[in-house]
Amino acid sequence: MSKTIPPTSPEPETGRRYWRSLDQLAETPEFKDWLQREFPAGASEWEDGHSRRHFMKIMSASFMLAGIGLGAAGCRQKEEHITPFGKAQENYIHGNPQFYATAMPTRGSAVPLVVRSYEGRPTKIEGNAYHPDSNGGTDRWTQASILGLYDPDRAQRFTHGGNTITDAAAMDFLADLSKTAAANDGAGLSFLMESSSSPSRARLQKIISKKFPKAKFYVYDPIDLDIHRRAASQVFGQSVKPYYKFDAAKVILSLDCDFIGAEEDAHINIRRFAQGRNPDKGELNRLYVIESLMTLTGMNADHRLRVASSLVSQIAAALTDAVSGKSAASVAGVDPKWISECAKDLAAHAGECLVVAGYQQPLPVHLLAHQLNSVLGNIGKTIVYNPVPEPIEGSLMSLAKSLEIGGVDTLVIFGGNLAYNAPVDLNWAATQRKAKTVVRLAAYEDESFEGTDWHFPAAHYLESWGDAYTADGTLVPIQPLISPLFGGWTELEVLARIAGENTFSPYEIVRATFSEILGGNTGDEPWKKYLFDGFLAGSAARPASVSLGANANWPAMQSAAPTTDKLEVVFFRDYSVDDGRHANNGWLQEMPDPVAKMVWDNAVLLSRKTAKALGVRNKDLVTVKLGDRSVEGPIWVQPGMAENVVGLALGYGRPKAGRVGSNVGFNAYGIRTVEAQGFTVGATVSKTGKTFPISCTQDHWSMEGRPVVREANLSQFKENPRFAMGMNAPEAPGGDKSFYPNPLDKAKLTAHHQWGMSIDLNQCVGCSACMMACQSENNIPIVGKDLVGRGREMHWIRIDRYYSAPPAKHKWDVLNSESFRPEDEQQFEEWIDDPQVVTQPMLCQHCEAAPCENVCPVNATVHDQEGLNVMVYNRCVGTRYCSNNCPYKVRRFNFLDYNKRSLAELKGPRYPTPLLHATDGKWDILRWWSDPMDPTKGMRNADEWDLIKMIKNPDVTVRMRGVMEKCSFCLQRIEGAKITQKVKAGASGDVIVPDGAASKEVTALKTACQQACPAGAIVFGNIADPESAVSKRKTSPRNYSVLEFLLTKPRTTYLARVRNPNPSMPDFVEEPFSLQEWESKGNHVEEEHEAAPAGEEQHHG
Amino acid sequence: MAENVPITMPEAPPVPVELERTPLVANNRSIGWISDRVAGICEGKTPLWWWMAFIPSALMLGLLGCMLIYQVSTGVGVWGNMHPVMWGWDIINFVWWIGIGHAGTLISAILFLLRQRWRTGVNRAAEAMTIFAVMCAGIYPAMHVGRVWFDWFLFPIPNSQSIWPQFRSPLMWDVFAVSTYFTVSVLFWYMGLIPDLAVMRDRAKSKVRQFLYGLFALGWTGSNRHWSNYEKAYLILAGLATPLVLSVHSIVSLDFAVSQLPGWHTTIFPPYFVAGAIFSGFGMVLTLLIPLRKLCHLEDIITMRHVDIMCKVTLATSSIVGYAYFMEFFIAWYSGNPYERFHFLNRAFGPYQWGWIMMMSCNVLVPQLFWSKKVRSNVWIIFVLSLLVNIGMWFERFVIIVISLHREFLPANWGYFKPTWVDICTFLGTFGLFFTMFLLFMRFLPMIAVSEVKGVTPQADPHHPLGGAKPTTGGHH
Repeated sequence: MSKTIPPTSPEPETGRRYWRSLDQLAETPEFKDWLQREFPAGASEWEDGHSRRHFMKIMSASFMLAGIGLGAAGCRQKEEHITPFGKAQENYIHGNPQFYATAMPTRGSAVPLVVRSYEGRPTKIEGNAYHPDSNGGTDRWTQASILGLYDPDRAQRFTHGGNTITDAAAMDFLADLSKTAAANDGAGLSFLMESSSSPSRARLQKIISKKFPKAKFYVYDPIDLDIHRRAASQVFGQSVKPYYKFDAAKVILSLDCDFIGAEEDAHINIRRFAQGRNPDKGELNRLYVIESLMTLTGMNADHRLRVASSLVSQIAAALTDAVSGKSAASVAGVDPKWISECAKDLAAHAGECLVVAGYQQPLPVHLLAHQLNSVLGNIGKTIVYNPVPEPIEGSLMSLAKSLEIGGVDTLVIFGGNLAYNAPVDLNWAATQRKAKTVVRLAAYEDESFEGTDWHFPAAHYLESWGDAYTADGTLVPIQPLISPLFGGWTELEVLARIAGENTFSPYEIVRATFSEILGGNTGDEPWKKYLFDGFLAGSAARPASVSLGANANWPAMQSAAPTTDKLEVVFFRDYSVDDGRHANNGWLQEMPDPVAKMVWDNAVLLSRKTAKALGVRNKDLVTVKLGDRSVEGPIWVQPGMAENVVGLALGYGRPKAGRVGSNVGFNAYGIRTVEAQGFTVGATVSKTGKTFPISCTQDHWSMEGRPVVREANLSQFKENPRFAMGMNAPEAPGGDKSFYPNPLDKAKLTAHHQWGMSIDLNQCVGCSACMMACQSENNIPIVGKDLVGRGREMHWIRIDRYYSAPPAKHKWDVLNSESFRPEDEQQFEEWIDDPQVVTQPMLCQHCEAAPCENVCPVNATVHDQEGLNVMVYNRCVGTRYCSNNCPYKVRRFNFLDYNKRSLAELKGPRYPTPLLHATDGKWDILRWWSDPMDPTKGMRNADEWDLIKMIKNPDVTVRMRGVMEKCSFCLQRIEGAKITQKVKAGASGDVIVPDGAASKEVTALKTACQQACPAGAIVFGNIADPESAVSKRKTSPRNYSVLEFLLTKPRTTYLARVRNPNPSMPDFVEEPFSLQEWESKGNHVEEEHEAAPAGEEQHHG
Repeated sequence: MAENVPITMPEAPPVPVELERTPLVANNRSIGWISDRVAGICEGKTPLWWWMAFIPSALMLGLLGCMLIYQVSTGVGVWGNMHPVMWGWDIINFVWWIGIGHAGTLISAILFLLRQRWRTGVNRAAEAMTIFAVMCAGIYPAMHVGRVWFDWFLFPIPNSQSIWPQFRSPLMWDVFAVSTYFTVSVLFWYMGLIPDLAVMRDRAKSKVRQFLYGLFALGWTGSNRHWSNYEKAYLILAGLATPLVLSVHSIVSLDFAVSQLPGWHTTIFPPYFVAGAIFSGFGMVLTLLIPLRKLCHLEDIITMRHVDIMCKVTLATSSIVGYAYFMEFFIAWYSGNPYERFHFLNRAFGPYQWGWIMMMSCNVLVPQLFWSKKVRSNVWIIFVLSLLVNIGMWFERFVIIVISLHREFLPANWGYFKPTWVDICTFLGTFGLFFTMFLLFMRFLPMIAVSEVKGVTPQADPHHPLGGAKPTTGGHH
């Protein structure tokens, strides 16, 4: 394609695609056909049973040729409510964004959203804060999903046997299929779907089951999060799904459950968990984590027990025994005191504690978790069970069996990429071919494209009508922001066609479902409100009353601890690419893994000791062998991993993901069998002798005893609430007086606003949603693995992650200090075995005395009177001095023209000069010469360029190469809010922007990171207003600024972290390791009483 | 060689032994011999060694062109610069070349003011070296920026939006310091060349040479009035150039000292940088002149005494630099600043330890050999040592720039810098520029200040027994 696709041209329901130029029209098969014929097709023939349909098709084609195709053809559906911009909407102001409520469907849930759209072009996703189970926070996948909409590698055509066909032909095929099914009751018709909570889909499935009783449904998800429902249903004898109220729990025990990172609705869990972690407001919850990998949840634990996943079941059983007062069996290699004290703590908080089990764990562990919750009286308090409909789908295994015996004629696959992610022992590509016809609706022509007969492009959720239930059971609509860019179809549409329904329009289907849920047609108003709000108020599920039978008892699975020659392999959902579905999403590929900080790769994760025993080191390429299958991947020694455990992230190594994701990392599905979907014991690891480069955004692991992230235990905090200020560097004798008056001090007194930010390190869990939100909001480019390896990533906000250990383990003597060694040596150091972890979002601190400003020779970075450190891109020549002088190193330099370089170049390591490069078959320099103003003069192919430019936020400059950039506190949002307020103020003169922090409005002034943060860790606002949320935050005794002794007076300050360990636990330490490290360098915490928060003097003047 | 020119002067009456000084021109060479020898380098057939040096140099200059075109058309990303080491080989090489560019003007201006008559033997070549080194240096700040085509933003050019450069930035000061230094150095060098250009003009046999030398000799006749004006102007320029010698590198050092990075933020930098610059400048003069005096048969003009003096200067400045290195460590400890302490320990024990060891050994230890008279009289050893001085000074800049940046305040930012092949080829390319220019200079311009060297021969002194016009030799000039 050479031209931008008009964003919102409506596609006719049953007619042809619109043509966009006469040339294009002349190319269409219809037109060619028409040229050849005396009479239009169907006018002279009258042979088949589809006469009416054909007649209507001809009619609509004729209308099109006459140039009046809009809405006239007889059987077309009513025009839907996506209107082209030719028709101006009411109250529409060109250039002002519009916001629509929708939702992103996930496996068994959905994320309620409000999406910002410019001229019909969605550019940014926000959470819907009005939703009863949302604070407006989202997760990284949701934030990045908008890039998937504009992915040039999406499936763009209908194919049959690999050849492009028209969508009409596809419709005919589906109609035939429907007829056949109607004739034989659906015998041999099977559907394979991914899980979904959509009531419309469930309704259509029911219709199909009713019409074609022999048709069968199957469901498969490589990451099986449905186990929570299955376990709960089995325990309680009714179809229920657990819903966790982490905010109500004072003690939380995770049995290998990464509820902060990889579990479904993690953003809700984070929000609820963070609510219980505010020491300024009272008690802190306490988190016990038993896990094999180092996960986000483990990073936030107060007590963490690292054991192989296969031992978790025994520990769960021992805990159950201990909680119920029975004598607990001991588990090999686990301190029995850990179990007994943890059980005591749980028992002491009966009714206000919570036990959760992870999706990788087998059913017995889940059953034990429910039993524990039941014994502890948590049911109905910290955990509730929402009734959900009994699923009618069978498993992939039963489909495989059915295929084996030839029981499937037509297999209709929705979305699933089974050739890539099905258990390897099912040999899916071959098994699937046992069906006579394979039909697939999918977003990509990927690994599974090959084995299909009919392949239809799927619409992105931002292009679709749909519906879903969120975790709490609230019904949310999915409404399109843009009509399908590539004419894709939704699942609902295809199901309706196969069902032979009268209406295929997803809009009508969703609306009919809605009416049904409301109990009959209730007219337009509730529907409009539903779409406007983005949820159906009051539809949240009423928890089922459940109880556990008195004799319920599940035996633990006994399994031996893994050894070096029988390693345990854990397959886990990747924080970036999920199960591989986001592999072609460059933002997610480049998002550093929240734990390892690795980008563009997965690795064979091992603990230090295991790596030593196996004789491998980081970046060694090894073969992981399981049974008679093996995969090759590079080693990464991960601090805090359990011994003899191999962690393999799923979702990488896709041969046909697209130009971003193909062949990134290695494919762990290659050794994942039906039996071993979570973890299994019995793998071996052997060296290949080769090495493989890994790019990481944070090479150094230790905080080096510096007070960067300040933390204390709860008891210490209670004793000395101002401990963070007490860790400031001693003041120089005579005081730290500034040499010259700061011109900003005067401006501070007169300006309307003074912007500032506060980040609560106790609430930040490191989930990285803020990074994706910032990338989306601020048009931040990706650079590729090679360049990240060279330290050129562009993220304006990053999450620093530090490991700390007791100083006794982490040596400090000069000649033998680990601190001075190259970063490569960290993997061999003893202290990384059981580290504590802290995370810290780091972004431009907007220093009042900014060191970057006075060194810029061209005045390209300057201060404004509202306290922002602003970048003038036009003025920047790129000396990079500002970055050198920035102590926080938060400035990012455009080393290459990232926005104009093609995705193919992301892999590096060669970066061609435009002088010797051709794009779309034309020499770049000639293209430039022929039209210097042509925006497509970059080195991107036209199809890439057309889409990638659509995602840009028009309020933010797209930076060219050679300029420095950095966090602007979302300056465009600040200015937008100021303009809005000025308009609103009119003559009243009330131009002060209201505090956005507490507002649920999506247009309220919040930075993108703040808006996305599910934990509410980031608060931004006007610090000149003492009543603003940020001002109040800054009065917290935990407030401190990083590197305060440099007197840069940052406007971004942090609230120190407080841990809440249990003093009777065997691994209890008096104070956090990082504090111990700091003190071991001869420091001690001063008692601080009256000191004003750093950098905050005189703000309230 | 001109006819009728005596090879040596008549014997002088014996001088008492205790008053004897090593003459600045050895072997009692006559004034005519000096003209012949120096002008002969530009006049005869081009020697083979010249071509052997020139062709690779010109090729390397071409390489520089290719590298710069690649870099400008593609982006600074082709270099190894990274986050957090935003300045890498670009600024290392800038400071290194600027440092080299120090000896020339120091020799010609400061030593002129201090009446160090030995300077005449080496000043012309040293000044030329200065100019070419500053040209090499200037490439880096001009080309290392992200948007080369906006370099003019750094100059205070009045514009409609009234945006001025930021005068608080040391980079701004650099612009003025380096451009002033370059301008004055060129003027000073050209000024000194005028009488010698006239000699070349007078000896020229081809019309083209006559015209070109004549053009640049500005009608010099050697009249007393010309000499008188010339001497005054030369003195004034020397006076102007003297503070510049000190200011340029002081200001370059402020690029670092004004920032707040541990390892950069230190008041010792200006004097220490000037000393280091003189050190490296003399190192480079020795590297160039030791082979040249041999190849051009100038041993009688650039004598071992000259070499000896330059070795001594090198030793002295090496000691100053060594003192500065030590003092930085002392202050890091004495200040009690943990970040400063960490930085200096990281210099000595960190992942770039090899860089620090190179710097310490080449800059502090190796020059100590110059204490020995034996070493100072062996040109082979001196040549090798001078090369080591150049290498050591490159590593000094590496240590200051890369080691300071790679591990600073927040450990999350720490990184490891590696140059790319483009960095390396660009640096090689600047050698191409330097040697191409220098070879052209020595082939077409008198490499020795002929008139000045004549001025320090005994014959030039009317009070000398051999001085003044003697009837026996017939008043040659």
